[in-house]
Amino acid sequence: MSSCLCSNPLIPLGVRANTFDFYLRISNTYTRKRKPPTILCTRLDNSERATARNQQQLNFSVLRFTFGIPGVDESYLPRWIGYAFGSLLLVNRFLGSDSTTITPAQLRSEALGLSLAAFSIILPYLGKFLKGASPVDQIAVPESAEQIFVMSQAIADNVKEDLAWGTYVLLRNTNTISVLISVKDTMCVRGYWNLPGDVSKVDALDWFQEQIQQIGLSDLEDILYFPQGADSELWEMLPEGTRSVLVQPVWLASKGSAGQVDRTDGFILLASSISYAYSNKDRAWIGAVANKFKG
Amino acid sequence: MEAGTLLLRPIVITAPIWNPKRRSFLRRCVPALLRSVRASSNLQGGYRGPKPRREWAADLVSENDDVVRSMPIYVGVLSLLAVLFNRAVSGIAPVADASSSQSRADLLTLGLAVTNILTGLVWLSIRPKTILPVNPDGVECQKINSFLPDSVVSELLWVWESLSVATCSRSLVIVYDNNFIFQTGFAAASSANYSEVVPVVPNNLMEGSLYKSVLKSGSQSYLANLSLYPGKSELPFLPPNTQAVILQPLGDKGIAIIGGDTIRGFTTSDQAWISLIAEKLDATLTKFLNKPPMMVQDIA
Repeated sequence: MSSCLCSNPLIPLGVRANTFDFYLRISNTYTRKRKPPTILCTRLDNSERATARNQQQLNFSVLRFTFGIPGVDESYLPRWIGYAFGSLLLVNRFLGSDSTTITPAQLRSEALGLSLAAFSIILPYLGKFLKGASPVDQIAVPESAEQIFVMSQAIADNVKEDLAWGTYVLLRNTNTISVLISVKDTMCVRGYWNLPGDVSKVDALDWFQEQIQQIGLSDLEDILYFPQGADSELWEMLPEGTRSVLVQPVWLASKGSAGQVDRTDGFILLASSISYAYSNKDRAWIGAVANKFKG
Repeated sequence: MEAGTLLLRPIVITAPIWNPKRRSFLRRCVPALLRSVRASSNLQGGYRGPKPRREWAADLVSENDDVVRSMPIYVGVLSLLAVLFNRAVSGIAPVADASSSQSRADLLTLGLAVTNILTGLVWLSIRPKTILPVNPDGVECQKINSFLPDSVVSELLWVWESLSVATCSRSLVIVYDNNFIFQTGFAAASSANYSEVVPVVPNNLMEGSLYKSVLKSGSQSYLANLSLYPGKSELPFLPPNTQAVILQPLGDKGIAIIGGDTIRGFTTSDQAWISLIAEKLDATLTKFLNKPPMMVQDIA
């Protein structure tokens, strides 16, 4: 296993300075570059900005109710109303009436009310999967994990550039906070990772290689996607606060017919701090980046 | 100079490089494939980690989008009627006061029903309009400048493959440093002979106002509905019914022109990816141009 590169982005690597160092820049906050789709409410000042953004995206004809309080997402309103009215129904049942005089009509109406409340509570969860729904959470940068950028040392310059560019692009354009690219016997790790304290930067690549051997990721043949609930309990190297993980295998360039499973050459591992982070379009682009490293 | 450009003989690789039937099948199939791969958890060959659970809720909702959108309205209306029916059947007058616990329970249930109806209306109002793609009216082709080394050629082919799978692109033209580099996908057929394509003349393109304004601003220009722009006469090599065009400058010496088959078909995510890929292409092409033999030297 070749030794690794230090994580200091200012160390020149002996390739063309202006392009490579550009990709070495680590921004401190990986904020999502995409703005969320328009939330146009009935306030007039938002209208021009919203129509400009409407031109670029799928055409949402949007009229949404909003309180106008920043940070409060009104798509969760049915859930709050469901909890509030459900608990009021229970209060009404046990405190607002004598238990002896409850009529069947009241029982029926309470049953209906409680089932409606339960339905309202799950409504925002279902709404998340509709087309045109905007993801609510922003990317949360984990506090305990530290940012690293390590790459195998003994590889050709153009491969180094490709790896640096690939990791940079994945971190910037998708909701990713950590990326690991492993192709043949080269590896590049960038972003927030949960390195144990006693592993120095020099041994970082070996440690990652060990973890990968344990999980057996290099033999993966299909795309692996955990849209929610992935965390450090899943794999030790993932930072805290990871919610979704995507592993994209890099297929060998071969002339096999469509549908045949080709041998894999490596994989790209992406971790994000929001659930359901990778839409179909994101995954299509990630597949395109993986194709860059094949062959 | 004219003499210089004549020396650049493009390699013409005629169709069908890109079988349109296979491609559109692939495009429609890719989202379904990806979802089913995720859910099938058919992992062999030494992977010892956990397998993801099948996301039935997400799959169910995404596949039955229309039904799910109007479901809260039906639920709300039905429960509204059920409350009134309940009152009528049990002989209580439908008076909406909060005096008895029965009326209070009914009021709360009515409130929940109204919430559901309003949520259903909001969901219906944010339904994205589906715009149908328009098949480009032209000839498939693939032309590459013969002076390019293999590494540059493979990178250009990779760019085209990514664009055609991940976005609605159907044509791609790259011009760099006053030289024709790459043209692929659909191109306009020349009026004289239907099987030949209208050639890309870099000088004409460079003198046009579209090119100059894009290079002056240095950032991507997205013409979401090409039929509205008079400047489309400067792009005669694209099929005449191209719906959307992205003009992406490559550094300050070149331009990539990407034609799509849907109005407003390129999302902001696509635009971001295209601008980053263009930076990479610019770096690659500049590196190639700086190494002798340069294409420009042939002019002298």
